[in-house]
Amino acid sequence: MAEFTSAVYQNEFLPDGGTDVNAIVTVTCTNAGMAGSNGGNVGEIIIVDTSGSMGETNMEAAKNAAIVALDHIVDGTWFAVVAGNHQAYLAYPMARGGAGMVRMDANTRFQAAQAIRYFHADGGTAIGSWLNLTRALFQSVPGLTQKHAILLTDGENHNETPQQLDAAIRASIGQFQCDTRGIGIDWKVNEIRKVAQALLGTVDIIPHSSELPAAFATLMQRSMSRGVSAAELRVWVPQGAEILFVRQVSPTVEDLTARSTQVNALTTAYPTGAWTDESRDYHVSVRLPARGVGQEQLAARVQLAVAGQVVTQGLVKAKWSSDDTLTTRINPAVAHYTGQTELADAIQQGLAAKASGDDRTATVKLGRAVQLAKETGNDEATAKLRKVVDVTDEDAGTVRLKKSVDRADEMALDTASTKTTRIRG
Amino acid sequence: MTDDLTHRRPTMIRCQSCGEDVAGFEAYCEGCGAELTPIMLAPPEYEEADSPLEPTRAVSTPAPTRPRCRECGGAIDDDGYCEVCGTKAASDRDHYEEAPAPWVAGSCDRGIRHRRNEDALALSAAVVPGSRAVLVVCDGVSTSDDSDVASLAAARAARDLLTERQPQGIADPAGRDRALREALTEAVRVANESVIAVTAAETRNAASCTFAAAVVHEGRVICANVGDSRVYWISDHGSSQLLSRDDSVAQMHIELGLSREEAESSPHAHAITKWLGRDAPDLAPTLRSLEVTESGWLVVCSDGLWNYASEPEDLERVFAESLLRRTPGADPLILADTLVRWACTQGGRDNITVALARFGDPLDLSVLAG
Repeated sequence: MAEFTSAVYQNEFLPDGGTDVNAIVTVTCTNAGMAGSNGGNVGEIIIVDTSGSMGETNMEAAKNAAIVALDHIVDGTWFAVVAGNHQAYLAYPMARGGAGMVRMDANTRFQAAQAIRYFHADGGTAIGSWLNLTRALFQSVPGLTQKHAILLTDGENHNETPQQLDAAIRASIGQFQCDTRGIGIDWKVNEIRKVAQALLGTVDIIPHSSELPAAFATLMQRSMSRGVSAAELRVWVPQGAEILFVRQVSPTVEDLTARSTQVNALTTAYPTGAWTDESRDYHVSVRLPARGVGQEQLAARVQLAVAGQVVTQGLVKAKWSSDDTLTTRINPAVAHYTGQTELADAIQQGLAAKASGDDRTATVKLGRAVQLAKETGNDEATAKLRKVVDVTDEDAGTVRLKKSVDRADEMALDTASTKTTRIRG
Repeated sequence: MTDDLTHRRPTMIRCQSCGEDVAGFEAYCEGCGAELTPIMLAPPEYEEADSPLEPTRAVSTPAPTRPRCRECGGAIDDDGYCEVCGTKAASDRDHYEEAPAPWVAGSCDRGIRHRRNEDALALSAAVVPGSRAVLVVCDGVSTSDDSDVASLAAARAARDLLTERQPQGIADPAGRDRALREALTEAVRVANESVIAVTAAETRNAASCTFAAAVVHEGRVICANVGDSRVYWISDHGSSQLLSRDDSVAQMHIELGLSREEAESSPHAHAITKWLGRDAPDLAPTLRSLEVTESGWLVVCSDGLWNYASEPEDLERVFAESLLRRTPGADPLILADTLVRWACTQGGRDNITVALARFGDPLDLSVLAG
């Protein structure tokens, strides 16, 4: 049985008249078990781009990767394979009405692999239609409690308007989780990141087709190890208080604030998707009505709820003090993740400015990113930044944009921008 | 529901032994236990998985009453904070009340600024108003160790002794007074021993506290104090007075001719010159008697209250305003709590303790309002 624990890192002391409380809450899951082991049915859908731009090499690699992914789907799991170009096709199972998914066994695995071998690259790209079919397939099987898809694409969403894609994403929120991968350098990070963020998944670039099967295997293994289906983070704040923001800050930065639903008058819930044995950090910021010096109160109860039951709770406190040595201290965890959040923003804004030809802004933002990556000890970000900029002074954040940059390096920096490191020590 | 059951009712058979009508699937009579021959199969226990159950009694046990938040009245969660406003629930030591009789009550509170409640309160009273009561307040000295434990031990020891030593069958008023004064002097000694008993042998900061007690005996009040906790008589008729005399630097200054206001606002005003504890310099209390001849309030309080209204006239005004603001009549518990809250709104810089005994009829509030 999965067990959850939580820990709170904060400076609870506020100065006279102080109102804002910041805390990092670490939620840890152990003994999650395999997907479906805690009851409920699990569904997996593999979505493969079969547009003409895939070409023979990428198409063959994608076929291999999809077949490898099938091998990692545990027997008994409901599954389907979707082939997508400017339309979406149900490649497997052959279903006319009724359930659009079948349970995995040796036979269906073999048949699905056969179907995948018939894929050939042709047509355009309409990712929204792929999501719409995927959603319909999940809905065709009643009683699925954990739904996950892997989406692979290689190009821009040419055959749909952005509004069509957005509508498909919106309709899929809360319906299934989706990890996304882009192969090559002709796809748009922003477009695919939007899908992954809304559907509680990850985004990454696969620069070379040879790496694709291993990437799919990892994704599917990870999904199969998520023994706790949809959980939600709940934040209670006292009457008269206001939630300034709620962010996941580790393993990646995701602003959850706008994804809230109300549990009751004082409690707000944010979806977290499924859990494996892992730790996630959340940054919760609350504004309270100020109280007198010496007063103590609870600023927030931060809880994780699984199937409506609270399984762990962290208490965020506020104590008003006239002692400056207490109130001016910034908690190291809060400082660390505030820096890492700013780092993600600086990288994304810097790359966006660079893409639009605004080299001045790009230089400033990426310079700040270099500085923050060093300050917060994010070595991966530092390494990736150094492939895009020449660093003159790391501490001051002085950089020059490189004359020629490998497009894949730039995309790798972009997709990894939200990855954070844990605080050291 | 009834109709529904009626048409599903099984065929009945009659028991040959006792004549009872029994469902056709029963193998034994419900009336006499005789063996029967069933004429039909027993129905399934439930027709459908979700067929409604009809419990014969409520299956939920009544929820235990949960403590309420003293800020907003919301329920206190198991985590020790209010479910509505997040206020930390007061521990039993941080805030407690006693109300041994309808005319005697007190409230002891941490206040706002202090981290602990080092004040203590202990009361006892007979049911008949004005007959017998003991009110003890001790204020732990913050700079000493465990003074919260010490003050409570002192107050309770003194209360117990004074309750036991109420004079019995002494007709002579002077003799009664003498007995009560002796009891109070003895109570200071016992309280002092209690403080020493909870003081760690090795500590350099020996626990210490003040002492203020009033004994009510058939309309007479005898009081004693050591330190700066006080006893007041707050009159309904404008003749309020301070009965105790502080053992403090401020009091020394007053006796040297300074005004109370000047003396009590000087930097060392709150330094006390007598206290209870292992290093107590002098245990002789200041004793005072009062024959109660009018309606009013006997008040024993810590400096957490009187800091904000030291002169008897000022405190009298606070009483009048508190009584007008809260419920009519003269419930001492409500008034004590109102006074504690009032001191908190004035800043609550210290722990606050207010013990009250009501003399005379319930107040006619129209007099106060006029």
